[in-house]
Amino acid sequence: MEKSLPSPTTQNPFSAFIKNNRGVLITILCLLLLPFALALVDGQPISSVLANDPGQSKFYQGLAIEIFILAIFALSYDLLFGITGLLSFGHAMFFGVGAYLTGIMLKSFGWGILPILCLVFVAGVIMALLFSVVLPRVKGITFALVTLGLAQVFYIVIQSRELADYAGAEIGLQGVTPPDFLNPISQRLRVYYLGLVVLFLVYFFYKRFVDSPTGHVCVAIRENEDRATMLGFNTFYFKLVALIISAITAALAGAMHGLFSPIIRPGIASSHYTIAALLMVLMGGIGTLDGALIGAATFRLLSFWLEKWFGGASQVIIGLVYILLVLFLPYGIVGTWRSRQLQIKQGWSNLISRFTGKRESV
Amino acid sequence: MCRGLIKSAPALSITPLSRSSTTSEETAPPLLELEFETDNHIVETKRLGKEFGALVAVANVSIKVQPNTIHAIIGPNGAGKTTFFNLLSGNLPPSQGRVFYKGRDITHLPLHRTAHLGIGRSFQITNIFPSLTVLENIRLACQALGRGNFRFMRSHKYFKAFEERAWEVIHQVMLEKEALLPARALSHGGQRKLELGIILAADPEVLLLDEPTAGMAAEQVPELINLIREVQQTGNKTVMLVEHNMNVVMSISDYITVMHQGQVLAEGTPAEIAANKVVQGAYLGQLYTDLKVN
Repeated sequence: MEKSLPSPTTQNPFSAFIKNNRGVLITILCLLLLPFALALVDGQPISSVLANDPGQSKFYQGLAIEIFILAIFALSYDLLFGITGLLSFGHAMFFGVGAYLTGIMLKSFGWGILPILCLVFVAGVIMALLFSVVLPRVKGITFALVTLGLAQVFYIVIQSRELADYAGAEIGLQGVTPPDFLNPISQRLRVYYLGLVVLFLVYFFYKRFVDSPTGHVCVAIRENEDRATMLGFNTFYFKLVALIISAITAALAGAMHGLFSPIIRPGIASSHYTIAALLMVLMGGIGTLDGALIGAATFRLLSFWLEKWFGGASQVIIGLVYILLVLFLPYGIVGTWRSRQLQIKQGWSNLISRFTGKRESV
Repeated sequence: MCRGLIKSAPALSITPLSRSSTTSEETAPPLLELEFETDNHIVETKRLGKEFGALVAVANVSIKVQPNTIHAIIGPNGAGKTTFFNLLSGNLPPSQGRVFYKGRDITHLPLHRTAHLGIGRSFQITNIFPSLTVLENIRLACQALGRGNFRFMRSHKYFKAFEERAWEVIHQVMLEKEALLPARALSHGGQRKLELGIILAADPEVLLLDEPTAGMAAEQVPELINLIREVQQTGNKTVMLVEHNMNVVMSISDYITVMHQGQVLAEGTPAEIAANKVVQGAYLGQLYTDLKVN
């Protein structure tokens, strides 16, 4: 029997890229047009969007920026937890370090954006290396608890009185003024597009990573680490690579949060925030990447609308929704969709063949 | 022809070269043979032992494995065969003794290094990547010893060599039809073949197979055995296997080591082992008593 290998695509890489990512590209297009669409629905002229006039469109742009930041955070968690299989309860620390570093450097030291981004990058690597000290020694739930401990230390430090001048203790870091060209109030549309660009750059970078030989080994480690070791992979290095990339991305999301939000609360470094990332990934579908984006959007929009409609009772309803999601979509939104896709396709082809068969017989 | 070799007898450390040349060996001076053999062993253990607390699982096992042979390790349940395999492959650190591979001491080598030396190991309980496809399973195994594992900005599609090698292996283990299915969708026999494929992908010189036919349907066993035989002969590989199925052991092995209570009870060719009274007592005898109980 000859090779049944599907012949490698001979078309040029650009059209192949468009074909493979059709859904994502359509989503990006929709998001590009979203501010204007919202303005039109609201009855505002398009010029008002460009001028960043207050209104529905501007408000929803702000919400969307929050979702973009959450989505980057969720993506980074998905790489660690969903792809490589490392359950970390200290992920919010990466986010918190990014946010606080950005805020402190802007407010107290007056650094520019580029040096701050470099610093955040370096901080992400250092934190990943800190986590990696325990990486080869502990596995599974023990790793989760050790990372939780490390993150809690950071959470406590950030609220300490000694650092109150810089970090603002329990209240949080206030009065951070981002540079004018990135001001989330006066330049909302620009920040919106910037967030969108960063999000999808990270997304495509992650896609490529998961598709690369390194990413394949990471999946293999999630599946069966002992087997991967027996094959001859030094799994520690692969886990380290995933951890570093994940930490840098989470710190980047944190830096964006620090730029965008008017007040950096210590809560973003707490275990609640890690759980939020876990929840987003679980809702969207573990290890799917697309799921992280959809999970983040679902998470933020659900809490926004439910709070708007039900006020104080929203927490109970959110809990109920989560239970329903887990019950009916056990692999998350994207995960369940993918596993059902074949069935849906078969159903359609059955339907069509029955239909055409009938017509032929008539 | 009763030359069942009992461990303590002086002639026993001499390993017959092959089935056909055994008769001439007895007359040859032992010293010469020993010298010749030490040069030639691919795997050798020296007084290897493992204790779990008070339990001695393996004690003083010294064996020598000839290259390009199928060397079976048999013994009743609890004889320490799998523990011995774990010591060989480095999955467990030995309490005492050493393991040599081509004259090199590999006793305390990190687990992921042994694969790079050319030792592939299968497990009693199927050990694969269940949710990856057959192709991905085998491609990962090809990739393990190749270059470019950390080129994380390139698609795997650029690494054609791995893909081609993976398909070669898939043909070898006859899983073409299932190549794009997730491994967990395969039958048990299919998964055993896949695991063999994973090991073969790295083109090892020594294959350690822990009960390759365990749990397989009876009609699938000959297929796998032929496959192992074929792989060993065409690739000039050395196969060490632990096996319970006596028919399999007797038909394919060149040499057999019988273990009992953590120690080597006897060594020899299949014919010698079958004729060995001590082995019959310890191994087959136990089988008979098992039958009586049932």
